[in-house]
Amino acid sequence: MKNILPIFLLLFASLSCITDDSVPFNGIEFDGTGYRPIYATAEEVAKIQIQEPRLLSKPGKIYLLDPYIFVNESGEGIHVINNSDPKNPENLSFISIPGNYDMAAKGSWLYADNMSNMVVFDISDPKSPKLTKTIADAIPVNNYPSFRNIYFECAEDKKGIVIGWEKVPMSERPKCYR
Amino acid sequence: MKKLAPLFFIGLTLIGLIMLLIGCQENADSSVSPQTGVGGSMARFAITGNTLYIVSKESLEVYDIANAGNPVKAQKKDMNVGIETIFPYQNHLFIGANDGMYIYNNSNPNNPSFVTKYTHIQSCDPVVVQGQYAYVTLRSGVACRLGNTFSSLDVVDVSNKSQPVMVSTQAMTSPYGLGVSGNKLFVCEGENGFKVMDITEPRNPVLKHHFEDLPSYDVIVRNNNLIITGEKGLFQYRYDNSDNVEFLSKIPVL
Repeated sequence: MKNILPIFLLLFASLSCITDDSVPFNGIEFDGTGYRPIYATAEEVAKIQIQEPRLLSKPGKIYLLDPYIFVNESGEGIHVINNSDPKNPENLSFISIPGNYDMAAKGSWLYADNMSNMVVFDISDPKSPKLTKTIADAIPVNNYPSFRNIYFECAEDKKGIVIGWEKVPMSERPKCYR
Repeated sequence: MKKLAPLFFIGLTLIGLIMLLIGCQENADSSVSPQTGVGGSMARFAITGNTLYIVSKESLEVYDIANAGNPVKAQKKDMNVGIETIFPYQNHLFIGANDGMYIYNNSNPNNPSFVTKYTHIQSCDPVVVQGQYAYVTLRSGVACRLGNTFSSLDVVDVSNKSQPVMVSTQAMTSPYGLGVSGNKLFVCEGENGFKVMDITEPRNPVLKHHFEDLPSYDVIVRNNNLIITGEKGLFQYRYDNSDNVEFLSKIPVL
């Protein structure tokens, strides 16, 4: 068994160098779907709004600052939920933040990512958080989807800033893979 | 050494019993100051005291938030690409990356120092820590685990921070976030549900419940309450020290 491993590794390494369309990267077959970048302009990325509570659609990460729960809506912002009664959580507001996936909070302050920017909110009134600060380029970002073992259209800077990825049917295998 | 093993386990059991009796079970909650919140294991943001840590794909960014409304950049630590998650525990930061688990010492919060990189794990996924053990889920996929398509839950002894040692591994289906508290370990299995495991013997998590109808991505454990997100919405449960799990509420996806 010990002798087989290096051979596998060698085989693996050699496969990864082949770009011939007939051979899938890393042995993952193209299944007719891939991820396509969703582009936005710099103005759109900076457009942060406090909105009425909205329904969950693609909930992601969560953060608890008793009695509030912050629920990320993948790539779109943060639901602010009053969880004083865990049997009856109340959706208070939605902070629309393009390219948002993460957050943390302390005292009456909420920190979140807005693409490569960090944004700070005063949440003393969780029904109407206030954007108080934007720190540009706080978080180096990469232009690829967070998923693995998938094919995706390579992002192009000239088309704008990538704020998210959507899985769509594709007639041919896109060039990028991770 | 083998002769010592039974003694070790008896010792552990005794310690466990004593902790139960005096009711001061140590868990991750105890390191959280009242003003600061707690994230799930999938988080890239973490706060301890007056410091905000952010892991980007390739760096650890450190912000001083002593003046909370005005974060000031304190430090940037360049790391390899493929950083995914951060979990603070006591005076260490456990960082999950594609190529392993990094441990930083943050006794000096604004300037964490690199301790070790545990490369035995080829992982895309997060880590939680309790006591001397780190629990790590590894989701299958050759890009995460070279030449291997096996998903697992690994237990790593991190009592010596500069020399972590894997003590057990078991198969999982499609694990994402996880949470730990007391003698319970919770594992989000993506579209394959949610698992409750017993870690009375911390080196060997034992499956107690598998909620197959509860797709789950991340979980927060706090005071016997579970907050879970998944493709069906936000779910809350309460569990007790027997193996009862009570549904509290859900905010569905529509």
